[in-house]
Amino acid sequence: MSYEHLIVERHGPVGWLINDRPDVRNAMNSAMRDEFADAWTELDHDPAVRVIVHTGNGRDFQTGVDVGEVASDGIGMERYRQSMEDFDVHFTSWHQGVWKPVITAVNGICCGGGFHWVADSDIVIAASDAQFFDPHTSVGQVVAIEAIGLMKKMPVEAVMRMAFMGRHERMGAERAYELGMISEVVDPPDGLRERAQELGETVARNSPAAMAATKKALWGALETGLTDACRQGAQHLVSMWGHPDQAEGPLAFAERRDPDWQPL
Amino acid sequence: MTYETLEVWAEGPVGWLVFNRPEASNAIDARMFVELEAAWAELEADPSVRAIVNTGNGQAFQTGLDVKQFATDPDALRASSRQTRDFALRMTSWHCGVTKPVIAAVNGTCAGGGLHFVADSDIVVAAEDATFLDPHVSVGQVSAFETIGLIKKAPMESVTRMALMGAHERLSAARAHQLGIVSEVVAASDLRDRARTLALSLAEHPPARIASIKQALWSALEAP
Repeated sequence: MSYEHLIVERHGPVGWLINDRPDVRNAMNSAMRDEFADAWTELDHDPAVRVIVHTGNGRDFQTGVDVGEVASDGIGMERYRQSMEDFDVHFTSWHQGVWKPVITAVNGICCGGGFHWVADSDIVIAASDAQFFDPHTSVGQVVAIEAIGLMKKMPVEAVMRMAFMGRHERMGAERAYELGMISEVVDPPDGLRERAQELGETVARNSPAAMAATKKALWGALETGLTDACRQGAQHLVSMWGHPDQAEGPLAFAERRDPDWQPL
Repeated sequence: MTYETLEVWAEGPVGWLVFNRPEASNAIDARMFVELEAAWAELEADPSVRAIVNTGNGQAFQTGLDVKQFATDPDALRASSRQTRDFALRMTSWHCGVTKPVIAAVNGTCAGGGLHFVADSDIVVAAEDATFLDPHVSVGQVSAFETIGLIKKAPMESVTRMALMGAHERLSAARAHQLGIVSEVVAASDLRDRARTLALSLAEHPPARIASIKQALWSALEAP
């Protein structure tokens, strides 16, 4: 599959999804929005891909919807009304039901809609010069889905402050790390992709099927209370019983070799 | 009850529940699986005990199920499998409905199922050299209950990262402190003294009030 606004690559077991509109800070136009849906599905269905890394070309990671397109083509935000009212959206791995591990590597600015991919991935790292802010309220827009996703995953006050400060304040990578929004700051910044590849290769050493079931249990826990989440988690846990990886893991450990996992 | 795999005693108002299989990194064998339920029940029933400290003997805090030992004991394996499938576990204070405050004092490695005892306690302190990891996916197992518990209490990304990195990465005590998974890091030699001091101060509050606060706060985690 070929893409105009994204680059899809494979490096060993790691699939890469790269935002590729650097001249507009990787803002998402309608075409790119459609391409995201296809790119996540392509990487999810490729058995050679065990982990997906998502980053951006150019100086910035992602800056939300392309307001240039919205302002100039006479359709404006109306184009998204129905999909938003129905919450029928398909541009993140979570929207697309991707159960492979997803690592977001934030380069430069991540603002507004860019938070969708921070909120919806499993592991987030950032370059030391990365900056986070949410300008929606500064341009008369409502902050909702991406901030809701973040609030489920990190201290709420920091998210509310970003929502209300709009474009008038930025959060640095170090603060995002302290808050647990990200788990690693890469310095110097140009080492970001190398580190993401390394992390991806490490994650790829684990059982694909066990990781998929674990993801389902953990993301499912955001949908419900503690006890119900554990009951549903038990179903995902039991789903692996009898799977060849459950014998292969301990055997490989005993024989001091890398496990030979079943592909997902 | 006479315990083989735990040390359980009351020291004034402080109840101690100490994992005692140091030669096996305190992994839970079939015997400990049964003894844990009895120990929580004993400390909960003892009116002199007003706060409980949970820690481990030796280098490790707790490293989860001793899978090798369970494999040799079909009855125990069946029992633990049934409790897992039905989420009817009786290993932690939360599983056993303990109403008294529980302090986990993490003295070393806390791996896999060991995270149950961190997720399910009220206060967590750790030794400087304590580490946290979740190797389940590295041996073909699913991580669920203990990481679900942590997700409800700590920033999620740090938990999903731990679950997906498996045996290949450890979270330090310092980072666990920064993330709010533990509230205090002390020198290993001071850990039990510090846990005792915290327990003694909790013991000064009326037990009924502590129990109702504990119930109210844990109930809040049951809302979607």
